[in-house]
Amino acid sequence: MKRHFITASLASIIAATPALAHYGMIIPNDPMISQEDGRSVALTMSFSHPFEMDGMMLDTPVAFSVTHEGTTTDLLGDLESATVMDDQGYTLDYPLDRPGTYIFAMEPQPYWEPAEDAFIIHYTKTYVTAYGDDEGWDTELGLKTEIVPLSKPFGLWEHNVFQGIVKMDGEAVPYAEVEVEFFNDGVGATVPDELMITQTVKADANGVFTYAPPSDGWWGFAALNTADYTLVEETSGEEKAVELGAVIWVHFEEWTGQ
Amino acid sequence: MIRAIALASICAVAPMGAAAHQLTVFAATDCEMVTVEAKFSNGNPVMLADVRVLDGNNTLLMTLPINEDGTVAIPLDSVDHSGGLVIEVDTGSHDNYWIVTPDDIARSCQS
Repeated sequence: MKRHFITASLASIIAATPALAHYGMIIPNDPMISQEDGRSVALTMSFSHPFEMDGMMLDTPVAFSVTHEGTTTDLLGDLESATVMDDQGYTLDYPLDRPGTYIFAMEPQPYWEPAEDAFIIHYTKTYVTAYGDDEGWDTELGLKTEIVPLSKPFGLWEHNVFQGIVKMDGEAVPYAEVEVEFFNDGVGATVPDELMITQTVKADANGVFTYAPPSDGWWGFAALNTADYTLVEETSGEEKAVELGAVIWVHFEEWTGQ
Repeated sequence: MIRAIALASICAVAPMGAAAHQLTVFAATDCEMVTVEAKFSNGNPVMLADVRVLDGNNTLLMTLPINEDGTVAIPLDSVDHSGGLVIEVDTGSHDNYWIVTPDDIARSCQS
C-alpha cells in the first residue's frame, strides 16, 4: 500500500508539472505597418512560456538587430528595459523610414535550465512589413540557426499553412523537430490536454516543415537542435549541452469572410 | 496626438481609388524636396504614370510625369504643404497614394 501511495504521489507530481516550452519572443504591435498606422513599430522582447503567459528572465541580449534592404543595423543599445509577463524583458520603438520588410533578430545570453541540465539559446526573429511593400519577406539572415520562411511570414489568414526551412550553419536540417506554440495574450485559450500546449511537427528530408494554426494570432515556431559545443555551468563547473533554437514568430489574421 | 489628428484629417480626403494594392507609392522628404517612389509588387519601377500633388484639403496643386526610374522630386517650396500633401500616382490601370503629413515635414526639418 505504501509503495502504491508513493508511486501515485510521484505520478501526480509529474503530471502536475507541465513540460513548458521556452520561447524567445519578439512581438511587434503590428506585423504589417501601413502609413495610417504611423511611422514606427513598437516591439516587445521576452523569454517566456507563451501559452501560459509565464515570463522568465531575459538578460541583456548578446545581439539585437534589424535587417532591411540588405543592411543590418545593431540596435542593442536602443533596447529599453521593461517588465513583460511579470519578468525582465525589453521594448523598442523603431522608426520605419522606408517601405519594405524589416527583420528583427535577437541572440540572447545562454539560459541555464537545470530541469533540462542544459543551456538554451534561442535565436529569435520576427518579420515586419512597412507601407505595403513586402520585398525582403524571404530574407535569410545567416544566423547560427534559423527558420527561413517559405510562406510570407505576415499577411497569412488563420488556417493557412506556414512553411519554413530549418537551417543550422546555413545548411538545411533534415527531419528537424519544430515546436509550435500560441501566444495566449488576452485570448484565454485552454487545452483539453497539456500535450496540446506545445504542438510538434517534424521537417522533411530537406528541412521543410508545415503547420496550419487553428486560429488567428501570434504563433511561435521553434526548431530545436543540440549544439556541437558545450558550455561550462558555473555552479558545478561541468560542461553542459546547449540547446539551439531557431525561433520565428508569425501572425495569422482573422478570416474576414462569412 | 497632433500627428494622428492631421493624418486622420488628410486620410478623410484621400482618393478612394487608392484601394488598388498592386502599386506601392512612398514619399520621403528632407525638408527641401519630396521624393516620390512608385513600384509594382514585383519590384519593377513604374515607368509611366501621372503624379498628382494635392494639399491637405484635397485641392490639386500640380500634376507631374513620373521618371523612368519610378521616382519624381517635388520642391517643397513649390507647394503649400502647411496641411500636408497627398501624392497620388496613377498609371491608368493602377493607382495608389502616399500621405506626407505635416509631422513628416516638421520631423525632416528638425533632423
